[in-house]
Amino acid sequence: MKPLDKLNTHLASRLTDLQKAKEQGRKVIGYPAGGYFPEELALACDAIPISFIQAGNNTVLQDAGSYICRFFDPFWRSQVGYLTSGNDAYYTIADLLVIPITDNHVRVFSNTAGYYTPERESFVFGVPHVKDDIARDYYLQGINRLKRKLEEFTGVEITDARLRQSIELCNRERELLREISMMRKSPEYILASRDFVALNHGSFLADKAVMVEILESFLNELKQSSPLPTDGPRILFTGSTLARGDSKVTELIEDTGGLIVMEEFAEGIRPYWNKVGLDGDLLANLADTYFMDRVCPGWFRPGTERLDFLITLAKDYHAAGVVWYQLLYRESYKVESYFFPDRLKKETGLPMLTVESEYDAMETGPMKTRIETFMETLRR
Amino acid sequence: MADYYDEILRLCGFEDEEIEQERPRIEKSFERLGIGPEDMDTADSWVRHNHDVALKGVRKLLGAWLKELIDVVLAKDEGKKIVYFGFPAIPGPGLILSVSSKDVLVTAPDMVLDHTMGQIFNKLIPILEAGESHGLPPGHALCSLWQAKIGGIVKGMIPVPDLALASSYFCDMGSKADDLVTALYGVPVAYIDGVMDSHWGEYPEYLPERVHYLGAQINQALKKAEQVLDIEIVPDAWEKAQKGGQAFVTNLLKLLDLMKADPVPVSIADLEPLEALPGSSTGRGIREGIKTMDILIHELEERVKAGIGATQKGVPRVMIANGHCSDPRVTHLAEEAGLAVPLTFILSWNGGPPIKLKRTYATPGETIADYELAAGLFNGTDAQIKRFEMGADVMKLDGFILNYLYNCRPAATASHNQKKYLEEKTGLPVLSLEVDAFDSRAYSADSLRTKVETFAEMLKEKRRQQGDEKVI
Repeated sequence: MKPLDKLNTHLASRLTDLQKAKEQGRKVIGYPAGGYFPEELALACDAIPISFIQAGNNTVLQDAGSYICRFFDPFWRSQVGYLTSGNDAYYTIADLLVIPITDNHVRVFSNTAGYYTPERESFVFGVPHVKDDIARDYYLQGINRLKRKLEEFTGVEITDARLRQSIELCNRERELLREISMMRKSPEYILASRDFVALNHGSFLADKAVMVEILESFLNELKQSSPLPTDGPRILFTGSTLARGDSKVTELIEDTGGLIVMEEFAEGIRPYWNKVGLDGDLLANLADTYFMDRVCPGWFRPGTERLDFLITLAKDYHAAGVVWYQLLYRESYKVESYFFPDRLKKETGLPMLTVESEYDAMETGPMKTRIETFMETLRR
Repeated sequence: MADYYDEILRLCGFEDEEIEQERPRIEKSFERLGIGPEDMDTADSWVRHNHDVALKGVRKLLGAWLKELIDVVLAKDEGKKIVYFGFPAIPGPGLILSVSSKDVLVTAPDMVLDHTMGQIFNKLIPILEAGESHGLPPGHALCSLWQAKIGGIVKGMIPVPDLALASSYFCDMGSKADDLVTALYGVPVAYIDGVMDSHWGEYPEYLPERVHYLGAQINQALKKAEQVLDIEIVPDAWEKAQKGGQAFVTNLLKLLDLMKADPVPVSIADLEPLEALPGSSTGRGIREGIKTMDILIHELEERVKAGIGATQKGVPRVMIANGHCSDPRVTHLAEEAGLAVPLTFILSWNGGPPIKLKRTYATPGETIADYELAAGLFNGTDAQIKRFEMGADVMKLDGFILNYLYNCRPAATASHNQKKYLEEKTGLPVLSLEVDAFDSRAYSADSLRTKVETFAEMLKEKRRQQGDEKVI
C-alpha cells in the first residue's frame, strides 16, 4: 500500500481506535495545532495527543457566532464552533484540553472551553511573545505545571526514561518530515505540496509510531521517484495558519501552475526543523526546542526572526515568488504584510502576493483572478 | 494681544496668563496640527454641545489634555527625548522614566490626539485616514487608536519617538504596530511582555509566576530605556511615581463616591477624559488633571447637596465599559435615552485593585505587575467581567451596557460571555453593543441609538412594574 493511502486508511479508523483506547483506560489529550504543546509529555504518561486542526468550513463559523463576535481569526472561531457544536468527533473524544495561550485569538478558544464547556476539563499555560531567558523560563514553568497536571490526570508518573523514549519517537517524526521537506531544495520539482501537507496534517492525528512508519516508507519512495513533469514558478507559501480542510489557496496556486516548494505556517503545520536534546534536563530541552529554537510566529515581537527565516527559505528553495496567506482579523500578519514586501524585494528581488480568507466560498473567484495574475507575472 | 484661539482655550479652562505665557508654543503647535481660525466655530460648538461647560473642572480637564498635546507636538523642538506607549498601558514604567529625567516625555500620543483633535476640534478623521493608508487599512478591524498614532506621525503632527514602550502584555496589535513604526522610522522598541493565561474563574487569584514574569519584563524594559535614552533611573523614581498615581486614585475615588448620588451629578461624558488620562500622560496632562479633579470634586459636592444632576432623579442606572475617546456624542447616548451612567469599567479599573495585595517585592517591576494583575484589566477576560459584577451593588445598577470594542481583540473576547455571565450572576439585564470607542465613522451615535433607546425603555418598564411611578 502507498504511504499516503496507508495514512488515509489509518485515519479512517482512528476515532474507533481512540474509543477503544479510552475503554482500556487511556486518556486522550486534545490540543490546538499551534506547535507549543510538547506531545512528548502526553505520550510519556501513556496518553494519546490529538490535535484540533480542522477548519476551512464557513458553516462552522456560524456555530461559533453564538459564542464570540466575528472579529477574530476564522481558524480560532472554527475551533470554538467545533468545540461547542460537537459536530466533529475529534473535538468530543478528548478527555482533557491543553491550550497553550499565544495571542488573543487563542484566548477566545480557552475562554470558551473554560466558560461554556466546563464539563470538559481544560488546562492553559502561557507562551510569551518575546524570546529571552526570562521568557524561556516562563514557558518552562508552564510545561512543568503541565507535566504535573498530566501525571495527576492520567495517574502515570512521567519518569525521565519514559520522557526520553517519547522524545526519541517525536524526534524521529520531526527528522523524517524535515528530510522529506528539505529534498524540495532540489531545482527539480519532486513533491507536491498537497502531499507534504497531508503528511504533516496527518501527523497531528495519527498514532505516533504508525506515522513514523508511514514517513519512513514515504521517504524511501521519494528517494527512488522521478521528478514531477512540470515547470511552473516555484512558490514559497507562508501565513498564520494552514488548517486541515483549508486547501483552497493551495489548490488555486497549483491549479494555476504554481509549484509550492515550501510552506511556512505558525499553526496547522507541525514545526519540524529542530530536534529535542536527550541529555541533561529533558523538560528544559523541551522548552529550548519548542520555544527558543522554533522560528517564532508573526505575533512574536519583534517578528524579525520569522521574516529573516522567510528570506532564507526563499533563497534556499529557489522560490520565484511568495504567496502570503493571512486569515482575516489576525492583525499580526496583516501589519507585517504591509512592510515585509519591500524587504523581500530588496534582499531577494522576489515579489509577494497577499491573499486573505475568512473561509468563505465567495472569496474564491476574486482570489483565483489574483493568483492567476501573479503566476502570469512570475512566468514573464 | 488676543488671537483667534483665545476663546476656545478659555472655554477649555486656560487662564489668560497661561495663554499669554504659552502663546508662542500654542501658535507653533496649532500650525503643525493644521488648526486655524476657520476651526474655531466648530470647536466652540462641539465642546459646548458635548460637555458641561458650566463646570470649571470639566473645562480645565479638557485644558489638561490640550496642554499635553502642545507638549507632545513640540517635544522634539524643545530637545526632549520622546517615549510613546500604547493605551491601555501599565502606567508605572512610563511614570518612572518621566520622574527620572526632565528631558524625557513619556506619553500615549494617540489618546492625546483623540481627546484634543477629536473631542475638542472634531478634526480626527484626516488623521485616521492617514493611518489607514500607511499600513493599517480599514475593513480589517485594526485598532483605530493606532491609526491615529501612525496618522499623526505620517502627517508630521506628532514627532517620531526615540523609543517605543510596547504593551505586549495585553494587545497583539499594539506591539506589532510598534514593529511597523520600527520598519517605517527605525524606532527602537522596549517590549514589556506578559501573557493573559489565567484559567477561567481563577481571578482574583493568579499565579506568582505571572507577577514575576511581567515584573521582570518591566525591569528589563526600564534598563533598555536607560540605555536608549541615555538617562539614569533615579533610586527613588518608583516612590516619586507612586505619589502622583496615588493622588489621582484618591481623587478619582472621591469622584466615584459622588457618582453614587441620585441623580448622578455629572454626565459620564465629562468624566471620560479621566478614563484615559492616567494611562496616557506622565507629564503635564496628568499633573494638571489631578489639580482639576480637586475643582471638580468641589463642584460636584455642591451639585449633590443641591440635588442637581445630569439626568432626572430616579432614572434607571447602568454601567458601561468606557466612554468614547474622540466623539462624546456616543457616550451621551445612554443619558439621552433616559438612563443615568454612574460608572464605567475603565474608571473602576483606574480606581485600583478591588482586592488587598498581600505580597511585597524587591523590584518596582514586580510591585507594578502585582498591582496591575490584581486590578483586572491585564489579567484576563473573566477578571474584567468580575469587575463589572462588582459595580452592580456599589452603584445600585439596573443594568449594563457592554459596549465592547470590535477592533480591540482583548476587549472583544468578552463580546458574548460577559452578557451571559452578568445576567446570570447579577440578575440584571445586559445590552451587548459592538462599538469603536476611538472612531465614530462606522459606529456613530445615530447608528447605535435605536438599540440603546429600546434597552432604556425596557429598564424603565421594569422599574414601573416594580411600582416606581416616577420613571418617565
